[in-house]
Amino acid sequence: MTTTVSAPEQRMSRPDHTRAHRRRAARAALLTFLVWASGVVAGVLFLTSSGSAPFGSLGAAISSIGILAGLVGTDFILVMLVLAARIPAIDATIGHDRAIALHRTLGKPALYLLLGHGALLTIGYAIDQGVNPVVEIANLWATPDVPLAIIAIGLLVAVVVTSLVAVRLRFSYEGWHLIHLLSYVAVAFALPHQLSLGGVLASGTVQRVYWIALYALAFGAIGIFRFIEPAVSSLRHRIRVSGVETIAPGVVSIHLTGRDLRSLGSHGGQFFVWRFWTGSTWWHSHPVSLSSVPTDTAARITVRDLGDGSRSISTIPVGTAVSLEGPYGLFTPTARTAPKLAIVAAGIGITPARALLEQSDLAPGEATLLLRASSTDDAFLWAEMAELAERKGARLYTMTGPRSAVAPTWMTAIDARRGVSLRSVFPDLLESDLYVCGPTAWLDAVEADARAAGLPAHQLHSERFDW
Amino acid sequence: MHHVFDSMGTTVSLDWHEHGTHSGADAAARVERIFDEFDRRFSLYRTDSEASRIAAGRLRLADSSDAMREAYALALEWRTATGGVFTPNRPDGVVDLSGVVKALAIERSGELLGASDRNGDWIVNAGGDVLVSAPRTVGIVDPADRGSLLTAVTLTGTRRAVATSGSAERGDHIWRSAADEFVQATVLADDIVTADVLATAIIAGGTETLDAVTRRWNVDVLTVDATGALLATPGFRASLA
Amino acid sequence: MISTRRILSAVFGTLFATVIGWQVTTAVTGGASTTSSTSSGSVLPAQLPSSALKDGTFTGTSQSTRFGDVQVAITVSGGAITDVSTPVLSGNEGRSDQINHRAAPLLRSEALAAQSAQIHSVSGATYTSGAYISSLQSALDQAKV
Repeated sequence: MTTTVSAPEQRMSRPDHTRAHRRRAARAALLTFLVWASGVVAGVLFLTSSGSAPFGSLGAAISSIGILAGLVGTDFILVMLVLAARIPAIDATIGHDRAIALHRTLGKPALYLLLGHGALLTIGYAIDQGVNPVVEIANLWATPDVPLAIIAIGLLVAVVVTSLVAVRLRFSYEGWHLIHLLSYVAVAFALPHQLSLGGVLASGTVQRVYWIALYALAFGAIGIFRFIEPAVSSLRHRIRVSGVETIAPGVVSIHLTGRDLRSLGSHGGQFFVWRFWTGSTWWHSHPVSLSSVPTDTAARITVRDLGDGSRSISTIPVGTAVSLEGPYGLFTPTARTAPKLAIVAAGIGITPARALLEQSDLAPGEATLLLRASSTDDAFLWAEMAELAERKGARLYTMTGPRSAVAPTWMTAIDARRGVSLRSVFPDLLESDLYVCGPTAWLDAVEADARAAGLPAHQLHSERFDW
Repeated sequence: MHHVFDSMGTTVSLDWHEHGTHSGADAAARVERIFDEFDRRFSLYRTDSEASRIAAGRLRLADSSDAMREAYALALEWRTATGGVFTPNRPDGVVDLSGVVKALAIERSGELLGASDRNGDWIVNAGGDVLVSAPRTVGIVDPADRGSLLTAVTLTGTRRAVATSGSAERGDHIWRSAADEFVQATVLADDIVTADVLATAIIAGGTETLDAVTRRWNVDVLTVDATGALLATPGFRASLA
Repeated sequence: MISTRRILSAVFGTLFATVIGWQVTTAVTGGASTTSSTSSGSVLPAQLPSSALKDGTFTGTSQSTRFGDVQVAITVSGGAITDVSTPVLSGNEGRSDQINHRAAPLLRSEALAAQSAQIHSVSGATYTSGAYISSLQSALDQAKV
């Protein structure tokens, strides 16, 4: 059954969402373009700096194509590192999950290019030499710095193979991540042969500036945003657990204290990656959204307790030190593109939705919310949502009950039969930003419905809790 | 047809075919004139040569002929390319371009004699540096016994030039930076200037230069050390007649 | 209060811009204070009016050569080029086209066996005109006449 709550509140000037959206979309397009263009640039810089007759003989031509493949492949690997470095500017433009999606898209092409690099150079040199490729492999292995480079490719193969979905599922997240970090080792191992056998760092050339810039960007960003920032942030804000509250079966709110928490710079709806420093829990990192907008000294996250025994979050003692990375995510008021706001949240997905609502600057009637729970056990923080909705003049609907066992829908069986749809809940759906958060399978169903109703992709914002 | 003449302190042997766009005697005369021009301009043994005048300070390099400055630039390019192992600068400050001049004269002669298919095959051998127009077999002298041959190679593919440099050779363009590792070095290349310069550089620079040369240039090399032991690149070995 | 992130982003941006700016400046000023080089990259200009050659040391643009990166500096004194030197040789090596043409030991017997074919010319260390007379090339030349 659905219920409604509403009350007005006056506002004056409205932020212009459409213009902000267009600017961000332009930046996003530019970023995607730069990612692919960098490969082109790497290739062009090589071809224009080439010495005499790189394509003079068949062997030389094959070798040159091999070198080209190596340069573009390395360029892509470095761009992948940049995308995974969680640079704030990139996160603010396309969001962390799109950055990771782009990172994944580059993986296989990069690996194929580097494997091609090895193969083509072996063949090209062998032709020029007049020996067969097997002999050439032995010759290459005997050349200084080449064995390290061969090991580097081997490491990359391991990284890519373990990242294939079928293989990745066999590993715990932490195990997979550890293997993935070998890609840094691979880049380091490949560097000596690039310097001693390749001429890309010839001084005074544009090529040199380009590669130094790319390496500096990748490793500098990783150093600063994956290591230095979390360390400084944690030391500066001195976050400690101040209380653990079970608010529903299997769901806890962790209350945190610290200093200057407002300068964490998070916008409602963003998430941090948290680490709780007890002997048994430091190993795990948790991507969790703040479930409220922090004050200077207090913050709160609400999370499903999935660990067992001592690894359970609910057993974390008060006073435990907490470190964090972030904030990340575009599930925020700043990602708005349309005049109206529609929020659909299910179960634990209510956490970022609540922070989003709290931070949004809304005119009466601008926002409509739908809270979904499969049972009352799943319906936590609803009282807070109702109170926020009343303050901001937003309409609030709730939908409680199990999903239909027969038809694929995100709704309860009853409401599905009644003819409830996104359009009926949100009449202005097509002029709204739809923010959806909840378990993945359910979320996919909501998204499918929204796209089928004609909602443009840029007006759809989802936060998946599975990365 | 065949012609032998002296120039640049050495002897030039010329073989060519009499048919083609140049008549036989004409070709010989013109090649001889090329060598003579180079000798008159660059020889430090002629007091009135342009090179001697520059060495004596009577002519500024900046005021010299285009040919002089081009040759100097070429020698400097090779100096930078070989990291200074090959250099036209003598320790006494005199600029000695004889290291490139002989090869330039051979090269110019080859351009004059023209392509094989139009004018027939030819061979220019100036003091042991050989340029051919078509695949030929060239013998390599044994440095220990100059009356016998060490081996012979057939110039195939794009190879047209053979140059041999010896440590017994007192050319002023060889300034040795290493102990006398090699007593002779022979380089097979696609052009005579490259062959000549690199053969000189290998004698001057020893094993390190040999490795660098074989790594960086598309040439084949045979070296002979003081004990008579030979080193050869795979391409050289494949070219053995 | 400013977030840690904003401070570090600013730090990162500044450091990055500095590194790039420094690289670009060294790339651009590598060719400072010379008269123009010819397009072939040679150090000497093609045409040099006599009045233009001032005294001093001039450094050419850094060139990428097969042995590494070299700058050539010429010293002019009294209107004449008195020294040419290579003040900069970076540790980087140029691109390698063939990395495995190493010279390996060759048996003298194997070398000697190759003389069976007809020889068209003889290559050896340069002989003087006097030494030519007793040389193998001379014998060959006489056989051709």
